[in-house]
Amino acid sequence: MMTLIVPIAANNAEYAHKMPQPFRCDDEGTMLCVKAITGLPKDVIKDIYFVILREHDERFMLSEMFSMQFRKHNLTNAHVTVLDQPTGSQTETVARAIELNGIEGVVFIKDADCYFKTDEILPQNGVAIYPLENLPIVDPQHKSYVAVDDMYYVTNIIEKRVVSHFFSAGGYCFEDAREFCRYYERLKDYSPLYLSHVIYLMLLDKKIFRPIQIDDYQDWTLTV
Amino acid sequence: MKLDIQGHSGCDICIVTEDNELHIHKSTHDAGYVPRLVNQANKQIAASRTEYQHIRVPKIFEVVQSPTDATIKMEYIYSKNFVEYFESAGFEQIKYLIGAIKYFIDLEINASTMQTVPANILTDKMADVARKVANNIHLKDDAEAQELVRLSSEVMDAVGDMEMPVGTCHGDLTFSNILFNGNNYYLIDFLDSFIESPLLDIVKIRQDTAYMWSTLMYHKPFDKVRLSIISDKIDSAIDEYFTGKYEWYRRYYMPLQLMNFLRILQYGHDEKVIAYLKRVISGQLAVLNQSKN
Repeated sequence: MMTLIVPIAANNAEYAHKMPQPFRCDDEGTMLCVKAITGLPKDVIKDIYFVILREHDERFMLSEMFSMQFRKHNLTNAHVTVLDQPTGSQTETVARAIELNGIEGVVFIKDADCYFKTDEILPQNGVAIYPLENLPIVDPQHKSYVAVDDMYYVTNIIEKRVVSHFFSAGGYCFEDAREFCRYYERLKDYSPLYLSHVIYLMLLDKKIFRPIQIDDYQDWTLTV
Repeated sequence: MKLDIQGHSGCDICIVTEDNELHIHKSTHDAGYVPRLVNQANKQIAASRTEYQHIRVPKIFEVVQSPTDATIKMEYIYSKNFVEYFESAGFEQIKYLIGAIKYFIDLEINASTMQTVPANILTDKMADVARKVANNIHLKDDAEAQELVRLSSEVMDAVGDMEMPVGTCHGDLTFSNILFNGNNYYLIDFLDSFIESPLLDIVKIRQDTAYMWSTLMYHKPFDKVRLSIISDKIDSAIDEYFTGKYEWYRRYYMPLQLMNFLRILQYGHDEKVIAYLKRVISGQLAVLNQSKN
């Protein structure tokens, strides 16, 4: 069993007058950040944490929205973690969520601005990957890329530099939440810090990462 | 294809096609620099005779010399610079690089002999640094720089005679003098060193891995976090390896690294670089002071 974390605590000047895209709803009234997790296998997920900013919560009534969404989708194990201050990176948001909620064991981190479907997530370090050629529209500058060797191990992950036809699809599994926090501590003074940097440092330390095969990838930053 | 080539030595560097092959011509028209360039060429020729795993040395075809000019004609290597290489290198490539650096320096150590380097080599060099800093128009009125030189002189006075391997070294083994071609690493710009010791090569490579010196000279955009992660990894691997093996490394690395940065400071002219060097030297003095206590 694993804990699912959806970090949505990025701040941006435009959010002063515009709701962040992941909190908006699709045609069926489902918030995009909730839709983002609907392709994951429910049977392996113990708890789900949506991590948001207090400023956004108060401005857009997010706690109430989430409460209705959890009822609508029967997400009885879902929670909202509200951070008082913006974080410097998605990595920090995840580390704060782990710390605040006392999360232990396997964590799966899911980006809120995209969807994919996968039938199985193994409780091991992994990165969700998707081949570039399967996308009708690509913005290659805004993705990180994942190199996988013949033995099916992740050998490299790089921000915004095309070194592989696989890109990181916005799903990351870490087999030990505490280990993730230790790596975050080592890198927390760097900026801009991405999850790919944490994974790369772990690769250099001989930690094994496997690719997670996914289907039906949708990038809402391009289409919504 | 655009060929990007740049040097820092003040020599003219050009790419020449001869017999349908690309060659590099490195030239100086400064009579004072001619012996230095010829020495570099001889050192590179000597190094190219040794077989190193993964480490390569570009071939020198000809050295043309007159009292006022010199030109080295050498092999052109299709390669990436260190930033381009690190921006795309997977963890296995970094592991190979660490292995190659350790292997190369171990070969240098094996080709050297343990010798006593007299204390005055370091103190004379320190006196020379102090004179140059005092005469540098960007530093002579800088009280902080003068104080750092004074404190460094005290450190150098206390070092005494040094037992270390002497005989072979590259002389300027920074990342900017390594060309990356797959898992082969080509060493260029060999230099005479004030102590011809492999320890000075460890000092130079750690000038980059511990202090990110060469990135200061790199003016294109790059992923600084990724480069820092890689540099830290290489640095801790090198430091751990040589700390575990050699007493001379444990005793003399830090004073020689301090001397290395002082020798860069003495020619400092850029305000930001001088500020960076003073920060580094101040940090090194703090480490040395702590280890003394």
